[in-house]
Amino acid sequence: MKAMNGLRVAFGVAIAATSISAWAQDGAAAGASADTAVTASGGMTAKATRQANRALRRKVYAALAKHKEIDAGDISITAKGGAVLITGTVQEASQIDTVTEVAKGVAGVTSVTSKLTVQRPFGQ
Amino acid sequence: MKLKWSGVAVLAIFASAAHAQSSVTLYGAIDSGVFYQSTAAASFAPTAHNNGHVYGIKDGSLYGSFWGIKGAEDIGGGYKVNFRLQGVFNSSTGKLGLADTTGGTAVFNQQATVGLSGAFGTFDAGRQYTPMIYAMADTDVRAAQYFGSILGAWLGLNQAAGWPGTNTNVPIGALYDSNALVYQSPKFYGASVALEYAPGGVPGQIQGGTRESAVLRYSNYGLNLSAVYYNAHDTNLAAATPSGLNNNRFYYLGAKYTFRGVSVSASYGIGKNPSNTSLADYEMISGGLGYQFTPFFKITSGFYYLKDRNNSANHSSEYAVGAEYSLSKRTIVSAQVGYVANRGTMNQTIMYGQIVAPGVSTTAAMIGLRHSF
Repeated sequence: MKAMNGLRVAFGVAIAATSISAWAQDGAAAGASADTAVTASGGMTAKATRQANRALRRKVYAALAKHKEIDAGDISITAKGGAVLITGTVQEASQIDTVTEVAKGVAGVTSVTSKLTVQRPFGQ
Repeated sequence: MKLKWSGVAVLAIFASAAHAQSSVTLYGAIDSGVFYQSTAAASFAPTAHNNGHVYGIKDGSLYGSFWGIKGAEDIGGGYKVNFRLQGVFNSSTGKLGLADTTGGTAVFNQQATVGLSGAFGTFDAGRQYTPMIYAMADTDVRAAQYFGSILGAWLGLNQAAGWPGTNTNVPIGALYDSNALVYQSPKFYGASVALEYAPGGVPGQIQGGTRESAVLRYSNYGLNLSAVYYNAHDTNLAAATPSGLNNNRFYYLGAKYTFRGVSVSASYGIGKNPSNTSLADYEMISGGLGYQFTPFFKITSGFYYLKDRNNSANHSSEYAVGAEYSLSKRTIVSAQVGYVANRGTMNQTIMYGQIVAPGVSTTAAMIGLRHSF
């Protein structure tokens, strides 16, 4: 399983490397490397990979919903293999660590990259 | 389990104050910049003329300069008593911000509240921000900033409805309400509700000067959703005796979605005088797009459209774009440019407090520095 996860991460990195801009990945890059996906992840199709990524993304958001002080509507979470990328804003500096820890605690998450910044709530 | 989580959340929210129980927290920001605008006017009067371009130092590149004092006391059982005193000041002149009374100022013109919080949510009494303004800031990529945002668009709607710009008692909706009681629920799977009631305090009147509002918000999965209902009686009356006239209603629906660095927002609002819609009936539409290049650098843009539903000749379109760079955790430099096409009697401003004449199209630019403390 560990080797497979490693391959999945490698595949994720490959996709990231080939895509020009981060937010255009889903369409272009995933389609172009669909053949690679089948061979690289041992039978897992590109579609199945995307579904797994989305499921993991939802699990991280669901975990964040339990922390009521955090507005996850201002936070973007994407997953590739077990690697989770977090961007967006939180209202207090301490919440950056909270979000990272919560994401790390979700089953299936192997690494967390946080690019969160602090944006004070309106009027403060 | 749910109750326990609420307790944790409340603890987390007030964690910063918990270790400073017997003292208070002083906080605020000073924000100033160089400002240029291609036209200007002396007042929001329908007869105001274009006095030519302005160039000067202006308070508030992102938001106004302000300061405040807040504190919380843990009274046990998961409950806390909270207070907050907060007011704006003009960093260019040192003057205080506007009060409800025309021409008047107040030290704590933004917030002067005391309240209770716990697993039930929070309850605050006193002068405070209305729930609707948070709902609008949440669903605007430009976050209701001073320069070209949903705040200026909503105030533009008020200028059209006759607000002179010299008090905080606006004809449509409200940024702050005095004498207000506000309840904010905890979040359930990202959803929450805020309810406001402000008794009028008018002798012999039950409806005189009252305000009520309800705001539904959702925030999770990268998505913010807001729905606002606001209704008030006797607002923006110049020294008239409150009669209980229902003259202020505002509806708003907004959404903002954030995916990776990209943020997109859209909203729709209607503001009117429900007693006499021929006096005020306006529509507000917004759209926003932003991109966070790095944790320190972002660009945001917005489009804000106003329309007079009583006279289609009166409409206003505004475009604004701004870049923000964080020099440190507390200091942000910014550069912003905006353009507004005002038609008919519309006088939507680009910059908060920087007046333009009705029907005059205007360009503005600002470079500013905001330091929070």
